[in-house]
Amino acid sequence: MWKVTLKGLLGHKVRFALTAIAVTLGVAFMAGTLVLTDTIKVIFDDLVTSVTRDTDAYVRSRDVIDTAFGEQRDRVDASVLGRVREIQGVREADGVLQFYAQIVGADGKTIGNPMGGAPTLGLIWNPGSLTAWRLVDGRGPTENDEVVIDRASAKAGKVEVGDTVSILSQQAPATFRVSGIATFGNADSAAGATAALFTTPTAQFLSGAVGRFDGIQVAGEDGISQRELVARITAGLADPAVQVITGERLTKENQDAFAQQLQFFNVALLAFALIALFVGSFIIFNTFSIIVAQRTREIGLLRAMGASRRQITLSVLAEAVAVGFLASLAGLLAGVGLAVGLKALLGAVGIDIPNGATQILPRTVIVGLGLGTGITVISALLPARRAARIAPIEALRAATTSTTKRLVVRAIMGVLITGAGVLALLFGLFGGGGVEAVGFGAFLIFLGVAVLLPVIARPVTRLIAWPLPRLRGTVGTLARENAARNPRRTASTAAALMIGVALVGFITIFASSIKASFASSIDQAFRSDYVIRTKGQGPPGLGGFSPALAREVAEVPGVEAASGIRFAGADIEGRATFLGAADPATATTLFDIEPRRGDLAGLGPTQIAVSTEKMRDEGWRLGQSLAIRFPRGPANLTIAATYGAGQRAGLFDFLISTEAYDLHYTERLDSQVFIKLEPDADRRVVTVRIQRVLRDYPNAELQDQEEFKASQTQQVDQVLNLIYALLALAVIIALIGIANTLGLSIIERTSELGLLRAVGMTRRQLRSVIRWEAVIIALLGTLLGMVIAGFLGWSLVHSLADQGLSTFRAPARELVVIMVFAAFAGVIAAIWPARRAAKIDILDAISYE
Amino acid sequence: MTTLTTTAAARAVAASKIYGTGDAEVRALDAIDVEFAAGAFTAIMGPSGSGKSTLLHVLAGLDTVTSGQVFIGDVDLSTLNEKQLTIVRRERLGFVFQAFNLVPTLDALENMTLPLALAGVKPDPEWLDTVVRTVGLSDRLRNRPNQLSGGQQQRVAVARALLARPEIVFADEPTGNLDSRSGTEVLSFMRRAVDDHGQTIIMVTHDASAAAYADRVVFLADGRIIDELVDPTAAAVFDRMKTLGD
Ligand SMILES: Nc1ncnc2c1ncn2[C@@H]1O[C@H](COP(=O)(O)OP(=O)(O)O)[C@@H](O)[C@H]1O
Ligand SMILES: [Mg+2]
Repeated sequence: MWKVTLKGLLGHKVRFALTAIAVTLGVAFMAGTLVLTDTIKVIFDDLVTSVTRDTDAYVRSRDVIDTAFGEQRDRVDASVLGRVREIQGVREADGVLQFYAQIVGADGKTIGNPMGGAPTLGLIWNPGSLTAWRLVDGRGPTENDEVVIDRASAKAGKVEVGDTVSILSQQAPATFRVSGIATFGNADSAAGATAALFTTPTAQFLSGAVGRFDGIQVAGEDGISQRELVARITAGLADPAVQVITGERLTKENQDAFAQQLQFFNVALLAFALIALFVGSFIIFNTFSIIVAQRTREIGLLRAMGASRRQITLSVLAEAVAVGFLASLAGLLAGVGLAVGLKALLGAVGIDIPNGATQILPRTVIVGLGLGTGITVISALLPARRAARIAPIEALRAATTSTTKRLVVRAIMGVLITGAGVLALLFGLFGGGGVEAVGFGAFLIFLGVAVLLPVIARPVTRLIAWPLPRLRGTVGTLARENAARNPRRTASTAAALMIGVALVGFITIFASSIKASFASSIDQAFRSDYVIRTKGQGPPGLGGFSPALAREVAEVPGVEAASGIRFAGADIEGRATFLGAADPATATTLFDIEPRRGDLAGLGPTQIAVSTEKMRDEGWRLGQSLAIRFPRGPANLTIAATYGAGQRAGLFDFLISTEAYDLHYTERLDSQVFIKLEPDADRRVVTVRIQRVLRDYPNAELQDQEEFKASQTQQVDQVLNLIYALLALAVIIALIGIANTLGLSIIERTSELGLLRAVGMTRRQLRSVIRWEAVIIALLGTLLGMVIAGFLGWSLVHSLADQGLSTFRAPARELVVIMVFAAFAGVIAAIWPARRAAKIDILDAISYE
Repeated sequence: MTTLTTTAAARAVAASKIYGTGDAEVRALDAIDVEFAAGAFTAIMGPSGSGKSTLLHVLAGLDTVTSGQVFIGDVDLSTLNEKQLTIVRRERLGFVFQAFNLVPTLDALENMTLPLALAGVKPDPEWLDTVVRTVGLSDRLRNRPNQLSGGQQQRVAVARALLARPEIVFADEPTGNLDSRSGTEVLSFMRRAVDDHGQTIIMVTHDASAAAYADRVVFLADGRIIDELVDPTAAAVFDRMKTLGD
């Protein structure tokens, strides 16, 4: 029996190579993701450890709040540092601060933070032993206008010791003399982040933390354990507002915080790898089904000679194990290569990852081999069972009978599974079931439709191909009938593509809806002439402009009003949320948020404005007081005004005055600055004047309404393109599936194709038949995928209506492009099978026996 | 253009076909000279492995000779490329094979008109009607091959071969898979095509009673023509075959 298995494998190298590719690609993607993230994690763990290696204890504020932007902790008073230094057992203590500071290079351009990547950090230069920064040139800053910068930034900006650089922060741009250049340990930078290190007073000034620190790093004297040191400091300070933790815990917390971010990245990539494997499983299923069908005689003969059903099943499964294992092994190797390549690619686009050994964990090997082999075997289970059901008598029959009797059962099952999928999806979106329920629902929908598909494949295929006979004559008829002749095969081939197309179409619809919603909220709210936003594609809320920018622009002759808007996280009535902050006096001139009741323009430092939707949802009343926790502590703000354009319109549900913001946050960066010109101002002249102000802010970009809209759209498009790239793998696997099915069908139809050639079909006509068959299958998968995409997109957009997704838009042009592309991809998938068919030797084909 | 020609519809001149090399060399055709008259029904007979099918294939442009020449009418097939050969087959020749004669996804009528459809030509409705009536399948035209009996399938195949009015119809053991009654149906239909419409037919067969439908029988052994009979009877053919030691 095993000899038969082995011969089966060796005898069909090409078809197994194609099957194997489906598995190999998926496993490679998965293994690559795991290896890459494991490698990055180890590198960053080392990095994080090296930052706090000599820290035995860390003193910080006990006040921490959860906001929509993550955890935010208050700062500690600088006087704590002096008190800590006096405690017995403390050898060394340094105050630390970390804040936004972007260096401007010699060419006048900002350094670092490409595409919103690694941050641009401002830090305190601490000369003691606690820091990982090492001077390689010059000296540390001793004057308040001196700075030390990292070597990577110095190289990138062509800056040398003694040069003067401008630095952007939440204060007005200022120039500093570079007193020294430092490395982070041995690395030129801290994982790609730029660093500007200042004296303590300068750092405190630039971060708006005068008299305060983020925390205090402490080194203990020899022989004192970290726990002991923490206990002594806690007792010594006796300050309930302060928390003391060990250096180990600090390291662990930092590592965990990073791991959590990495985890998100990891899960996202693994999801795409799983999609690829899921698509691949259809290919495997198909290959094994076809092979079993083609070997019906051989299997019947084996059964006649006494092979048991079990033996037949096992021999098919053994083949699956062998193929799956070899394919997974190849995938694993390719995955490691992929990880190394990706890391280099990330480096090439500026997301610099320090060097470190590539991490191939046993988990990666086990999961890669296990999942790849497992999926292959599971996909081969049904074909194996079908093989076992072959009766000995079928050795004697020409077996081309297709079973249609189980179609009713199939139809019922398909409808039930699809229905369950729809329910799970809707529960996930609207019933609070979360992303797992959504994913599982989508999986069930795909599976259900795939089960159902053979029932409807024949009529739907004929429908899709109805114009073909008229257009292409006999070639068209043959292509249509070939596509329809084996519905099960056509169905599972099309289903693989359907999944890929459904996801591509869905993400296209979703992105389109986001863009349309953006555009409509900008159209509605944008009342100003210009907006200043940060260059590059960094996420809003990170980085920004010193409020000095808005002040300077407001003073430009011809400008009626200019005001910055900020976004921040807060805990309002126990819920993590985000709010906007603006100057209420100018806000209504600059953007239309549809003021309703109360006095929006007169919003004071102890007041808050709330959207009418939120008011209704929460049942709040005007004049009511809200308990809010800000990073700098709790406060009660009174609802003094309401407005119509809240989160549902793509804006925010809470608005406070800039004044109130300054009281409750230490970071004061405007995300965007809105500008309105005087009605009779000369646009061109004023624009030139504004651009002159912007010269000191090389991270700023002046845009009008249309440009602003375009840049928002562009951000969505970037993410969209990334997802397209990730989904491309699933689509490619599906196309390999079409090629594979057609190739196998051609082997099966050798004599028929030979006959066609003998009676006068040219090679070109034959290739055309195969190509059209591929196009029909591709269109079948694409059409179904589109229907599912429409449903997925529609339900997701509606579930996010209260998050500002106001508009559902299925972009006709893009969807048509996808259709055309799919049809064309079908042609490409048919190249190899068509060539193969054309090569069929007529004599071989028509020779009887 | 018929000035220079003989009346032969097809002929082989010193045609050899050699498979393999060295020890494994097989001379399937050994310098054969043979002519097939137009408007005649010729049977090719011989023991298994004597080269009957090979001869038919090279005559029909399905295979090439190793040396020598093969003509369809005036045309030397060895001067044609693959595409030209395909067109010759489509427009000038018809085929009936022993099995796998029909395309399973096309119905009987579509199968019959296949070569014409591939050439983009509409069948002559009168001739189509005549052929359909002669094969006696008027009520079966919309049936797929798997809904037809073996004899009906072969008759569809013969109808297909005749419908394009080819110069020659080649048939390789067309009744080899049929019971004798179906075989008779097919053979008498071929005979009628020759008698009524002057069709040229070259048929390979194993079966003496089938060969008896022909105007002339050519005997093959070891790739050489060793004998022939004109206006054969089944008994005469049978006798001759016995001497060949099949
Ligand atoms: N493709 C081939 N390769 C090698 N030998 C072949 C091939 N086709 C036919 N032959 C040999 O050529 C000889 C004639 O074959 P064929 O014409 O099929 O004989 P027949 O039809 O009379 O039984 C036989 O010996 C056969 O084995
Ligand atoms: Mg033969």
